[in-house]
Amino acid sequence: MSESDFDVVVIGGGSTGTAVARDCALRGFKTLLLERDDIASATVGTCAGMISSGLKYMDEPEIVDMCSEEVVHLNRIARHIIMKNPILTPILELSDLSTGGNFAAEYSKRAESRDVPPVMFLEPEAALEIEPLLNPDLISSLYFEEYFIDPFRLCLLQALDAQENGAVVKTYCEVIDIVVRDSTVESVTFYNRVTGEIESATTKTIINAGGPWAHKIAAQAGATLDLRLNKGAHVILDRRVVNVGVITKAVDGRMIYLFPHENTTLLGTTALDTWEDPDTLVATHDEIEYLLKSIEWIIPSIREARIIRTMEGVRPLVPTWKVPEGEVTRGYEVIDHESEGVSGLVSFTGGKLVTCRHMAEAATDLISQKLGVESKCTTHELPLPGMESDVDVLSIAKEYDISQHALERLRARRGTQIMEILDLVKEHSNWRTTICTCEPVIEAEIRYSIRNEFPQTLNDLRRRVRLGTGPCQGTFCTYKAAAILADELDLTGEDYLVDILDFRAERWKGIRPPMRGPQLAQEEVAQGLYACVGNLDQIETEYDPKPWEEVG
Amino acid sequence: MTEEEAFEFVKNTLKEERITPYHKNEIEIVHSVEGCINCGLCINHCPVVAAVGVDRFTGPRSIAVELSRSPPEFWSTADKIYLCTGCGTCREVCPKNVNVPEVVNLVRARIFEHRPDLVPKGLHMVREIIVEHNLAFEPWEDPEEKVESRDVRLERLDIPYTEDIIKKNAEVLFYPGCQAEERAQEVREAAKVVLNYFDVDYTLLDDMSCCGLPSALMGDDETSQRLAGLLKEKVAGLGVKKVVTTCAGCTSNISDISLQDQWSIPVYHMVEYLAEEVGLDRLKQALGSSKEFSEVTVTVHDPCHLIRHTSRRTMQDAIEILKVISGVKVAISEAEDSCCGGGGLVAYHSKDVADSVVQENLISIDKTGAERLVAPCPLCTAQIEANLFKSGSSVEVDDLMVFIAQRLPKK
Repeated sequence: MSESDFDVVVIGGGSTGTAVARDCALRGFKTLLLERDDIASATVGTCAGMISSGLKYMDEPEIVDMCSEEVVHLNRIARHIIMKNPILTPILELSDLSTGGNFAAEYSKRAESRDVPPVMFLEPEAALEIEPLLNPDLISSLYFEEYFIDPFRLCLLQALDAQENGAVVKTYCEVIDIVVRDSTVESVTFYNRVTGEIESATTKTIINAGGPWAHKIAAQAGATLDLRLNKGAHVILDRRVVNVGVITKAVDGRMIYLFPHENTTLLGTTALDTWEDPDTLVATHDEIEYLLKSIEWIIPSIREARIIRTMEGVRPLVPTWKVPEGEVTRGYEVIDHESEGVSGLVSFTGGKLVTCRHMAEAATDLISQKLGVESKCTTHELPLPGMESDVDVLSIAKEYDISQHALERLRARRGTQIMEILDLVKEHSNWRTTICTCEPVIEAEIRYSIRNEFPQTLNDLRRRVRLGTGPCQGTFCTYKAAAILADELDLTGEDYLVDILDFRAERWKGIRPPMRGPQLAQEEVAQGLYACVGNLDQIETEYDPKPWEEVG
Repeated sequence: MTEEEAFEFVKNTLKEERITPYHKNEIEIVHSVEGCINCGLCINHCPVVAAVGVDRFTGPRSIAVELSRSPPEFWSTADKIYLCTGCGTCREVCPKNVNVPEVVNLVRARIFEHRPDLVPKGLHMVREIIVEHNLAFEPWEDPEEKVESRDVRLERLDIPYTEDIIKKNAEVLFYPGCQAEERAQEVREAAKVVLNYFDVDYTLLDDMSCCGLPSALMGDDETSQRLAGLLKEKVAGLGVKKVVTTCAGCTSNISDISLQDQWSIPVYHMVEYLAEEVGLDRLKQALGSSKEFSEVTVTVHDPCHLIRHTSRRTMQDAIEILKVISGVKVAISEAEDSCCGGGGLVAYHSKDVADSVVQENLISIDKTGAERLVAPCPLCTAQIEANLFKSGSSVEVDDLMVFIAQRLPKK
């Protein structure tokens, strides 16, 4: 048994769950966040990071209003992890010009509030100068600007801020039962995967932010929840191969995109109704080819670019059936299960990354009402950790004798938190060592993260510091980072090796489906290192290969 | 808003976001860097890393997998990217032929455009000279002093002075490059002696201008393109059929720009020209029987801009030529093809790095037991000579053209 008598238990540590936990904590509710894996380890971890102004949903003006307003809020509370992307939508056919015009008019209404220009039209020559890879047959091009956030850091900062304000955040705690007494939720029982113990917590209310698992969580309380699960794939390319984002029509008329993001380029996405297990889902050959074929019309040389990996996630859409996915609302629903006799349980369906704060506000308002207290939402006003001031990378690079680029990457992830990491360097000068060469990541950041951001595995570190996300996909950093993790968490040799295997397996999950061209050579190097040098294929451990790993 | 106004607006946003769109001719370079598999082979071969360590210069691998991935962040690479001497060793040893030297220039060009304050001051000084004089070195204030300096050098080296020839429709344009024009004038004069001796129909430029390489190396693409255009005009105006130069850097750069801008005439290093167009037989006739000089053991230095940016063949030619000179023995140094540190304009802002790089060469030169070092490049010559002198070595250094001109029978 652990702490109890919570006002609210939030189930799910994605963008919505962490936003809810933050909102509840800021309003002074005694809050427990339970995540069965790690923060941002599922749906949100596979998104493109676009905090969309709602550009795809122009026929839902109220959703567009909401998205647009949320962009303004996010820029207010998390500016340090947000970047702006200029975007071109090249037009190849005359018939698309009028659709483009309608879009432009609707989009432009809200542009000013986000501090971006209205949609503009560019001549083909201008578009080609901005992006020489475009098909020279284009007849015109739309131009607009959108914002992108680091989705991992957003979720983590929301969780950390919740913690800072009194919430209890527990990762690797999977809810296995929800006890309902007299038609009211009473407690949750959860399996702590770190300690191996079963724990429980009593609570007045529960917010189910389980994303693609939300229906299963509801079922534990005897409630029902209908979800339309829809999977989407991204292809990740090495470095920024395009100067600006490009949006175009896919083979089936949907819109797809190619976005420079951080130091990669993302090609996405597919949208397919799915009944597969979100945990073991990998991108299919069809999805990869769908994306490549679709972008190829507008960027004919796309197949020459190096594909690093794919990622696949599941959207928990609002259950509108018998219409194409594109016609399902991008809004969300807050479901109060009281109507079916489960009082105190609230679930989400639908939603998007950009509306996570809005969803949290709506659900927390409802909880507030249920708890019978008056409270005010402040999540759109109070900044997330790290945004206190600007960081002068050039001067701290000199002061700490660390490469400017390493520090600039660090700043982009953490804002002013960078100073706490540099404090560690002051004490341990050898922690300036580069661990991941591609991003890069220095030892001090890894140590800091382990001590302050509750990662349990290398994969958790990856989400927090971008470990192993570059072109070599962890070929060289895995052992080094694992040694640091083992040191900090006092892991056994066995745990150390299993975690290395887990991390490699997770990388492999994305590397394998699109593997071709230069990445084949990269994988040979990785194979050489892990099998021939590390003998990782020869060790005996309690490791069970993942479903996507072939056992030979 | 008109489409023109829209374009202006977009260009402004791109500038704010520190994005200079890749030009068509840069796409191939970017694509080449995508090939990096992080194997790190290059780190063990990079002369700068060997000299100053990975903390000071993170090396070619970091340029490929880390520093060149995201243009909006290029500015933050300024503490590392200017330390690359552009020797091209990494590209040569790379199993994937990743074009690091070119991506370095591409990154430097972005810093030059978006954060000129982060371009080392020493490079800004060179830039000002180039922009004002179209030359990489400040021209002599007093032309008479320039002549005096030339004559002192020629007298010391016992090389005769021959009048400059400037005429139209000569077979060959002899292009000395900025170093031989303004500083190492003996190289320019020696080359004229050699060309005269073998009756080459040549001309000089009436107004020498830089080929644009230093501007390209500091990221000043606009100036480098202007200078390339200017030189093209001059070459076309003279109606020459070939370009011959004594500078390794000029050889590789003019080869590149002549291809890019379609000059449609071949570019030679003087060594290559002598081997291919004059021929070893005639060279042997002229240089093979003189008793005037005592026997000498020489060692050579291979300029990066010849062996790695143009062709390794040129240094084979150089050795063949040396071997036909009477009394000359060639002793190859272990580090003959190691960068002298003089490349990439590094010496203009981080002289300590450039001088550390050359140390490797000095040790190996010493080991050969040679009395003299020759190099077919006045820039390498100057860098190695200065450092040999500083180290107290007795090895003397000559540009290869000077060495040949001295040994030609007087006409």
